[in-house]
Amino acid sequence: MDIGTLKSIIPVLLLGSAITIQLTLISITFGVIIGIIIAMVKISSSRIISSIGNFYTWIFRGTPLLLQLFVLYYGLPAIGIRLSSFQAAIIGLSLNSGAYMAEIIRSGILAIDKGQTEAARALGFTYFQTMKRIILPQATRIVIPPIGNEINAMIKDTSLVSAITMEELMRKASLLVSASGDPLGPYFVAACLYLFMTTFFTSLFSYAEKKLSIY
Amino acid sequence: MNDTMIETKGLTKSFGRLKVFENINVKVKKGEVLVIIGPSGSGKSTFLRCLNHLEVPDSGTVVIEGEILDTRNKNHIRRVVEKMGMVFQNFNLFPHMTVLQNVMEAPITVKREKRDVVMERAKNLLDKVGLSDKLNEYPSKLSGGQKQRVAIARALCMEPDIMLFDEPTSALDPELVGEVLNVMKNLAKEGMTMIVVTHEMGFAKEVADKVIFMDGGRIVEEGTPEQIFLNPKESRTRTFLEKVI
Repeated sequence: MDIGTLKSIIPVLLLGSAITIQLTLISITFGVIIGIIIAMVKISSSRIISSIGNFYTWIFRGTPLLLQLFVLYYGLPAIGIRLSSFQAAIIGLSLNSGAYMAEIIRSGILAIDKGQTEAARALGFTYFQTMKRIILPQATRIVIPPIGNEINAMIKDTSLVSAITMEELMRKASLLVSASGDPLGPYFVAACLYLFMTTFFTSLFSYAEKKLSIY
Repeated sequence: MNDTMIETKGLTKSFGRLKVFENINVKVKKGEVLVIIGPSGSGKSTFLRCLNHLEVPDSGTVVIEGEILDTRNKNHIRRVVEKMGMVFQNFNLFPHMTVLQNVMEAPITVKREKRDVVMERAKNLLDKVGLSDKLNEYPSKLSGGQKQRVAIARALCMEPDIMLFDEPTSALDPELVGEVLNVMKNLAKEGMTMIVVTHEMGFAKEVADKVIFMDGGRIVEEGTPEQIFLNPKESRTRTFLEKVI
């Protein structure tokens, strides 16, 4: 691999990385929102409501992400729903990470002492005020490290959407390999870029963890 | 003119098959201090927690300022519970908020009061409990006695008509008990209606208008502190008092 080929593949792979980051950030954001909702559903005292949440995590944690993506992209057109590869990727990754986030957030909420809820109730807080002002802010600190892990996993899992023709870092690398006939260079550079991204987010989260440890 | 602040009629509560207390009738007038004593497991804490609906009684009614607590109507419960401040054995301060934020939180979130009005009141209350130098500390930096005084200020900032104390000094080191009891004594002097579950017999003697001795889920004896402490009628009361004093 000489400098000339490096110069030609790096811009392509950087573009792929940008898409990988975009997919990761959007999906993690939706994943957290879905996760909070499903976590609340799961801790509901109503059996029927909590079983809906359990069903959700059972489905999305119990089947391969690749299969979920295939259903969304190749399967749904059979019933008339046509998604672009980007839409299918975002929906698939968000729904999937939502299931994992739900477990993380649920354990974070359950880790908060029952006395906190009681104090809030005794002061007249509604359930949602208690969640918003008292429980979730405290749970945040607990869930920051596992959510950091989840983002790390997500950066790597986005490579699966290359299978539904989404041109992120992994697919860009594969295309370069077939085009150039060089099987090592593009994969090597892609690996470096993945490492750079995961290292960056890991440090960001350990920084956030420190920042939140003020009390 | 009816000056009853809080009253229970036939209040009964069990956890599964365990009967915690049965048919409790209590009446507290405005400005009165009721102290409930009794051995652990006698149902006194659970009784107190039924008053502000932290526990749901199985039967019987709680009447607050003439209003029957309707256990099925959540909005009604919240509105009535707001009139009662509660202080817990384990403080239950919000650890992610400073002392001042702890005290200000409920009036702003629950009552939607103006921030600067609440701030002024919160600072006065914290001054009253002797913590005006700790406004911006987090609870983790405070001693148990300081935490409990913040908890009292937090409850008072909602401007309650009744204060409930659930063993407020039981989790404290002995040398810190006094500072909390002093705050409570001052509160009683100011005419606050209070129901206090405690093992502090000295406090009961000095501050209580009425003392209830509970055992085995029943009110064994009730009367003025003089009656209960100097001249108990029931042998069970006598045995208990001999053990604790």
